[in-house]
Amino acid sequence: MKILKIQNISKHFEGVHALSKLSFEIEKGVITSVVGPNGAGKTTLMNVLTGMETFDNGTFVVGDIPLTKVKPREMPMYRIARTFQSVRLFEQMTVLDNVLVVLTERNILSAIFEKHSKYHEERAFGILKRIGLWEKRNELAENLSYGQRKLLEIGRALAMEPEVYLFDEPFSGLFPEMVKKVKSIMKELREEGKTIVLISHNMEIIRELSDHVIVIESGTFLAEGKPDDVLSRKDVLEAYLGE
Amino acid sequence: MEYIIHLAILTSIFAILGIGLNLVVGYTGLLSVAHAAFYGIGSYATAIFMKSFGVNFFIALLIGIIFSAIASFLIGLVLSRFKDDYYALASLGFNIIVWSIFLNWQSVTRGPLGIPAIGRPELFGFVFSENIFFLILSLIFVALVFGVSVFIGNSSFGRVLKAIREDEKAIQVFGYNTQMYKLTIFVIGAVLASVAGSLYATYITFIDPTAFNVMESVFVLSIIILGGLANLKGSVIGALFLILLPELLRFVGFPSDVAAQMRQLVYGLLLVLLMLYRPQGLMGEYKL
Amino acid sequence: MRFMGIIPQLVVNSIIAGAIYSMIALGFNMIYGATKFFNLAHGVMAAVGGYVVFFLTHSFGLSVWISVVIGVLAAGGFGVLTDVLVYQPLRRRQASQLILLVASLGVFTVLQALIAMIFTSQFKTLSIGNGVQQTYNLFGGIITTTQIVLVLCAVGCTMGLLILLNKTRFGRAIKAVSDDEEVARIVGINTDRIVRWLFFIGSAISGLGGILVGYDTGIEPTMGLALLLGGVVGSIIGGIGTIGGAFVGSFLLGFIENFGIWHISGEWKSAIAYTVLILFLIFRPRGILKK
Repeated sequence: MKILKIQNISKHFEGVHALSKLSFEIEKGVITSVVGPNGAGKTTLMNVLTGMETFDNGTFVVGDIPLTKVKPREMPMYRIARTFQSVRLFEQMTVLDNVLVVLTERNILSAIFEKHSKYHEERAFGILKRIGLWEKRNELAENLSYGQRKLLEIGRALAMEPEVYLFDEPFSGLFPEMVKKVKSIMKELREEGKTIVLISHNMEIIRELSDHVIVIESGTFLAEGKPDDVLSRKDVLEAYLGE
Repeated sequence: MEYIIHLAILTSIFAILGIGLNLVVGYTGLLSVAHAAFYGIGSYATAIFMKSFGVNFFIALLIGIIFSAIASFLIGLVLSRFKDDYYALASLGFNIIVWSIFLNWQSVTRGPLGIPAIGRPELFGFVFSENIFFLILSLIFVALVFGVSVFIGNSSFGRVLKAIREDEKAIQVFGYNTQMYKLTIFVIGAVLASVAGSLYATYITFIDPTAFNVMESVFVLSIIILGGLANLKGSVIGALFLILLPELLRFVGFPSDVAAQMRQLVYGLLLVLLMLYRPQGLMGEYKL
Repeated sequence: MRFMGIIPQLVVNSIIAGAIYSMIALGFNMIYGATKFFNLAHGVMAAVGGYVVFFLTHSFGLSVWISVVIGVLAAGGFGVLTDVLVYQPLRRRQASQLILLVASLGVFTVLQALIAMIFTSQFKTLSIGNGVQQTYNLFGGIITTTQIVLVLCAVGCTMGLLILLNKTRFGRAIKAVSDDEEVARIVGINTDRIVRWLFFIGSAISGLGGILVGYDTGIEPTMGLALLLGGVVGSIIGGIGTIGGAFVGSFLLGFIENFGIWHISGEWKSAIAYTVLILFLIFRPRGILKK
């Protein structure tokens, strides 16, 4: 079942076409990697899908809902959560708060009067233990190591309990132990039936993790298929060498 | 002794102003230089309704709150489109516009002449004309304001405010309508400023536009930066410090007109030094 | 032609107001262009200029010309001082724009208080003699010598800056710093020095503006704030960060203010100016002129 459809999405910035009639589909319950040379438009795609940037033309189909406009705060409604390539944590808040803020009430009145709920704290602790940051829970986010920060990003996404995870370069700059941890989390999520869209430059990990690979170049669709097939195609290699 | 009571009352009023502004600036990261406008609206509403309509102080206080809430809602709507320094600039503009209204809408506010003989609060026949009783009243208000603000700050709502301060676009993508959150806290801050304004009007029993200009907003900003942004206890301490410090200077022997300027000098210097050497203020919770 | 009576005067007043604001806006814009922060202390430099001239002419009896020159240089010097003591150290620490803005609020408060302490808060005029000036009739609007000098200075400074920016190596360095300070530094430009020069020039022009306002109406310690806000509104209307924008925006503001109060009392001038500011911030934050 195709849980997410990207249909003819176009986006331009000051004359430059970041995305040009990009179209492809994401299958539910598998890990799909989106790859492509630098500047291909991968992060732009994620920004546009999550409403952080507007797009000019095209449609996203989430589940069976077609969308021509997306607002960031609708993400929980569409059961989508994301991480950021550049790690956008809430720096001067604790690790625990970074997760709690995703778990608590969205409605303003409820948020003011919501009692300090054991339910939220327990869920937060569970997530922190899962990603291995429970001991650091009272540490300020800005004091974490780089690898821990990337883990916390993932923890935040986990807290959303979405159907679709968008991971933007979750492995970049991580030490091997961290890489192992993140890989195992992703495999667990797949076991749980979750859908993962992964942007990465690490070909080895892509080959190992992905069920499906989609290649984008200059904002348009180039190729898709099984990792080993796609990544050895001549046109794909050329696209990378050209960068 | 009377003098100490006077200082304590002033400290209370400015502590309330500081706490309210801290929720907006310290927790949510909105650099508002408009706070004095709502302080003024509360003051003028209280003064006018008490004098011209013989309304009881506590009712006039509520009326002031309603006016401030409406004004801050409208102003907040406009301000929420701006970021960072443009926000500060626009809020500065609004402060000046409101101040200008205080100065020029003479039929209502008597302009530069101000409104004299406002009268002290009265409750079931008891008038708070003795300063010591007024102090007790003020302290009760401070406690209420502090309590409410701590409750808000520690709630889930407060946590979201901090996230907005840290990275507004990021928290949006987790499902939050940040515009509404910002607007709500701005109105809450304005309501608290209005309470301080009502107290001020009935304490000094005379108000004029000079008490609500831009420099006053800057002063409240100094209080919360000194005390420590996002630390409510700090705002009380900051108010204490900044009200007392110039009084100490007076003991050192400066003539009174120079003393007023000396006060400004101290505030300004404090802001600069804090920015240079300790942006997290006394209580050190959040760095600007 | 009777109904025309007041319009020429309004036009003249608008031009004068525009000239005053532009003297402040020019420096403000240059500093913003290079450092990307709103220097709220900028207006005080006008007061500095005015008060230095006052001090020199009234306490030392120095001639007007010498005093003015010293006054302008002093204002420039103070500007550099604030940069060296406060802004530069903060920029080195990668302080956010908000920190710089709050620091500039502090600087503004300190300088204004110092001036008031030294010279008292009283309004003073700089005019020599009995203060009566030669006036000219410009199509029905009256204008004094000082005011003509004001307008000429405003135009002159703007043109001078445009030439400086576009035709000299120094100007190219300034543009480089404004575009991207990192890159400019890598390319070998001493960005700190350039910024100091910008502070000097901008504050000096501001000081000159203050001096001329002093001769036109007078000086008081709080004049900096009103002038600054006029300059800021003018800058934003015209297009923040550009010389041309500062000039055009300031004159536009002058017209809006003066024609805006045509049928309502003059005290609403500030309210009009800031309402315009906010409208522009909402609908056209980049200003009138297209980049």
